[in-house]
Amino acid sequence: MSESVITVGNWLQAFFTIVLVSAVFKDNPLYRFAEHTYVGLYAGYGVALTYFNYIRQNVTKGLMTDGEWSLLIPIIIGVLIYTRYIKSISWLSRYTICFQLGIGSGYVLAKDFKPFFVDQVRATFLPLWGSGDWWVDVSNWVYVIGTVCSLVYFLFTIQKKGVQGKVSLVGRYTMMVAFGAAFGNTVMARVSLFLGRMQFLLGDWLHLIK
Amino acid sequence: MWEKLANIDRRWLYALMIFVIALALIKPIGLAIVPSADTQKVYDIVEQLPPGSIVWMGMEFSAGGIPELMPAILSMIRQGWKDGRDLRFVCAGMWQMAGDMAEQAFSTVKAEFPDKEYGVDWVNIGYKPGGEVLLQQYQNSIIETAQGVDFYGNDLNTLPLMKEFTSLKQAKLVAIFCTGTPGEKEYIKHVTSPNNIPLIEAAISVSIPECMPLVQAGQIKGLVAGMKGAAEYEVLVGAPGSATAGMDAQSFSHALIIVFMILGNIGYVLTKNKKQAS
Repeated sequence: MSESVITVGNWLQAFFTIVLVSAVFKDNPLYRFAEHTYVGLYAGYGVALTYFNYIRQNVTKGLMTDGEWSLLIPIIIGVLIYTRYIKSISWLSRYTICFQLGIGSGYVLAKDFKPFFVDQVRATFLPLWGSGDWWVDVSNWVYVIGTVCSLVYFLFTIQKKGVQGKVSLVGRYTMMVAFGAAFGNTVMARVSLFLGRMQFLLGDWLHLIK
Repeated sequence: MWEKLANIDRRWLYALMIFVIALALIKPIGLAIVPSADTQKVYDIVEQLPPGSIVWMGMEFSAGGIPELMPAILSMIRQGWKDGRDLRFVCAGMWQMAGDMAEQAFSTVKAEFPDKEYGVDWVNIGYKPGGEVLLQQYQNSIIETAQGVDFYGNDLNTLPLMKEFTSLKQAKLVAIFCTGTPGEKEYIKHVTSPNNIPLIEAAISVSIPECMPLVQAGQIKGLVAGMKGAAEYEVLVGAPGSATAGMDAQSFSHALIIVFMILGNIGYVLTKNKKQAS
């Protein structure tokens, strides 16, 4: 790619970065422009990519050249969703939605049970002593107690009094620790995102860092 | 004073944060980066692959994930290609920018390995619509599922690597780079769990708490956690890059946030006590 194209690209990137970050100081028309540009570009890019890399491939090669007429079935089901825009025949779009819901519940959910329930429960069967490393033993105790107490917290059909109340409280504190860790990771992620932009601004744009 | 501190205009805090980050990037002091156990596991898993093994790279992220995930991808490619290890990579994804991310990664690293050839050492299939159903279909036939073309429009049947690698099940390792859904859960349920293929992941920091139960259960064998994990991976591979350069800034910005939180909480408690007393 030529130097001038890269330079124009860098200046555009810098402009949009600064304008989008300016929203934290004050909402302004430039920010709105950048926000709409981003949303429009991303949506347009997705449509273009899907059309040129997939739809056109299927329709021109698969349907018209190779004569795979069975492709008409998914094409018609897919096109039916756009009938939502025509009030008199919008009921036809329900077929597409039903098809997608059927895929979602039948095909996708059926595969969720083993990896995200059975395997996860099995992972809580941990040795509480005799592992040879005291730190592992302590960690396993924390893990098992935290898991059980957190699950007890969600037994809403029993009043949180007495033993159940105290166990629920331990569960609540466990979850608060987990949420704190999640918050810390979220902060780290947002700082990392901003860091990436700062590295671009100071490096590729202003050449202040290598 | 504490009331003023508790009600300080947040724009001053943002300005201070930008100043600290910029200063740390321009004048880094080189804080030590010690690889964590999780990153070390990822490194070891890739290191133990036999030469010539085919690695499936799932590029499940868009431009927002570049600062945290791109350094990990570059490190993995460098690790796979250095010292004659000759790992081969097939890149694809369920996210729209999958092809662009793979293109950016390989065009960056390609200059360091001029003997590596597209179609022989790596293939970029790019994004294909279909979500997780795609992963299931890739296990039957990659070429058919990808409509016979890669990200650049090349016929996959003409690429030597794709003549050998016809199904996702043949991958020795699945390495995914995720910022959300679809992501690791889809790979676990459709690919790695049923076929017993090891899965390693580089995830953004926001996803780490969600991934840890999967790591603990052994469903994810190793995890590169955000930019920090990417920096650790760069140190292990011996090729410091943007993640390593950003660590000082990240550490100082976190320290600043901790200071804000402490001051804010002290201000809150003292003003609350003052209100109660009055």
